[in-house]
Parts: sequence; structure tokens; C-alpha cells
Amino acid sequence: MNVHEATGRTLEAPNRTELLEFVAFLGALCLFFSTLEYLFPKPFPFFRLGLANLPVLLAMKLLLPRYVLLLVLLKVLGHGLINGTLASYVFLFSFGGSFASVFTMLVMHKLAGRQISLVGLSVFGALASNVVQIYLSVTFIFGMTAWVIAPLFIGLGVFSGVLVGLFAQKFYEQSRWLEGVRAYFAAS
Amino acid sequence: MPTLQRPETFLGRHFAPHHLFLTGALLIPAFLFQPNLLVRIGQVLLFAYLAKMNGKRIKWMYFLIMVSSITVFNLFTPFGQILFTVGPLSVTLGALRSGLEKGFTVVGLVFISLASIRPELRLPGRLGGLIGRVFYYFERVIEGRKRIRPRGLIESLDEVLFDLYAPGEKRADGRSVAKDTTRFGYALMGVLLSVNWVLVFLASPLPF
Repeated sequence: MNVHEATGRTLEAPNRTELLEFVAFLGALCLFFSTLEYLFPKPFPFFRLGLANLPVLLAMKLLLPRYVLLLVLLKVLGHGLINGTLASYVFLFSFGGSFASVFTMLVMHKLAGRQISLVGLSVFGALASNVVQIYLSVTFIFGMTAWVIAPLFIGLGVFSGVLVGLFAQKFYEQSRWLEGVRAYFAAS
Repeated sequence: MPTLQRPETFLGRHFAPHHLFLTGALLIPAFLFQPNLLVRIGQVLLFAYLAKMNGKRIKWMYFLIMVSSITVFNLFTPFGQILFTVGPLSVTLGALRSGLEKGFTVVGLVFISLASIRPELRLPGRLGGLIGRVFYYFERVIEGRKRIRPRGLIESLDEVLFDLYAPGEKRADGRSVAKDTTRFGYALMGVLLSVNWVLVFLASPLPF
């Protein structure tokens, strides 16, 4: 069970409907941040910064693992519906990468607790996502020769993971809105 | 009642979201079983056109790079007649055809997906209801994005977030209203499915 770092109180609200509503709101923020991706120049056509992971990172500190997993499911389904990629390989990549990332982050969060920052979680998540996506692309699309691009993509993944993690950490520490949300769930 | 308000598209006007999805689902096997590469490329162009009719922007350069890179990676596993050599690499007919088939198949499936899925498509059950809530909030976040400033990013984000989500607040229902399929929509569905399925049986593989 997650515990508020400052107060030590549990963050599970007794009202499940309220929690699901909050997860849906975070899901909408994931979709919103993924639309902001297009504002940033891409060094490579398949490169993504991973801004949509910001709400997932914040959720790691706020919600129980089952709600974080639900958030990731809403993120990938919502993204597939909005962009129309639900029935394509893009969805498979998004699903595989997102769940590899969140499972890795949940395990690291469980193992390291307060010893790991959001930057660390983000880097582990980005690494897991990239490794799985490279594996899927090798298996289903490009063939074994695609492993030659693995170091480049993993390097880019670490770089984007650090950037997203730094912003998430800053937002977590400075946002008054997030402080309000944390206090509400802690007090419920 | 707030709804998902998007510019109406040609396919959106004539198809209920679940009928459009069904059409796409039935087109997938007709596309995958197509034995002729040239017909398959024609189908890819048709699906791209349908995706545009569904309001999607096609990034042609992205898909061109996609087909090219899949084909190039495939050439590293040579088989069949050698066409020419580039340095140490022998470009073979079998690898080239297989790469092009794979590349156009991957891109065609994306276009079918883009053409047949609309945000109004309701998934069944409680998960579908939650997705509806996600879209409701997404529309509201998009409305507030103009207030987000790069300078003072966190402060401006906070202002928008406070307006959109205050814990414990009573919220509106965000269900969207879906339309029925028109007669023209049913006719278009019939034509698309007939043409693509008939081509599976009529077209023969390329002679090389």
C-alpha cells in the first residue's frame, strides 16, 4: 500500500469511484502530453520523448499499483482510439512498451522505495520500453538485422527518460495542484 | 451534456463508429490474403484515402521511410535470383519482393486502422465507461492548453489543472452521442468489402 511521503498516511481513498475518476483524469493528461510530443523536433523518425509517461510517473507516487496499471491501460487504449491505431502494429508496440515500462517501474519502486527518484524510475521505464519495442520490431517487422540499431535506441531512451524524469520530479516537488490532490487522498 | 465535439468527417457522417470498425475488421483478411503485390499496393493507397476521409492526417514521409527501412533490412537475408550487388551486399529478387510485401502490409494495416477507428467507438463494459471519462477530460484539457506558458510552466499548468480537476467535485457526464449508419454508408461498406474480397480470388501472384 502506498504511503504519503511527508505525512506517512495511506493514499488509498475509501471512495473507489473518486479514485477511478482521478485515474481517468490522469489518463486524459497522458493523451494531452502525447499531443505535445509533436511540438518537439525529432532527431529520428521513430524517436519519441515519452511525455505521455509524466502522469504515469506521478501516479507511481500517488496510487496503488493496480490503479497505475489501469491508468496505463487507459493510456494505450485512449491513444489507440484517438489516433486510430488500435488495430495496427503501432498499438502492439505501444501496449508492449507501456506495460514493460510500468511493470519495471513498479518493481523498482517496490524494491528501492524512497531510495529511487522519479528520474531513476523514468530511466528504468524508458529502458524497459525500448528493449521490448526493439524485440517486437525484430520479431514482427524488421528481422534479426534490426538489432544493430538497438544501442542507438537504448541510448536515446535513457536520454529521454532522464528529461521526462527531471520534469516529473520538479513537478512533483513544486506543483500546488498535486499537493492538493495528495492531501485530499491522504485525508479521505 | 458535454460531448466529443470534433469536425465531422466524410466517414463520420455516414458510418456509425461500430459499423466503421466492423468494415475495417472485415477488410483486414481480404488485405492479408491478397496474393498480388501490385494489387496490395493499390489497396494500401485506397486505405490511405479512406483514412483521410476519416479525418486522419497521413504522414507520407514517415510511411515511406517505414516501407524503405523494412525492405532494406530484409535485403540482408538474401534469397532467390541476384539482381545486382552494392558493395558486399547482393540484392536478390526474393528478398526484395518479400521486403516490399512486408513493408506494404505493415503500412496497409495502419491505414485500415486509421480509416476504421473513431474516438466515438465505445468499448463495452466499465472499461468503456472509463474511456468515455478519459475523453471527456481530454476535451477539457485541450481547451485549457492555450493558457499554458513555457515560462512559469508549472504555475500555469497548476492553474489549468485546478480548474479542471478538484478532488471531491461533482462532475458532469461525458458520454458521446453516436450516429447511425446512413444508406450511403451501408452501400459504401458493401462496395469496399465486395471489391477487396473479389480481388482475393481474381488476382494471381506476380510471375516473378
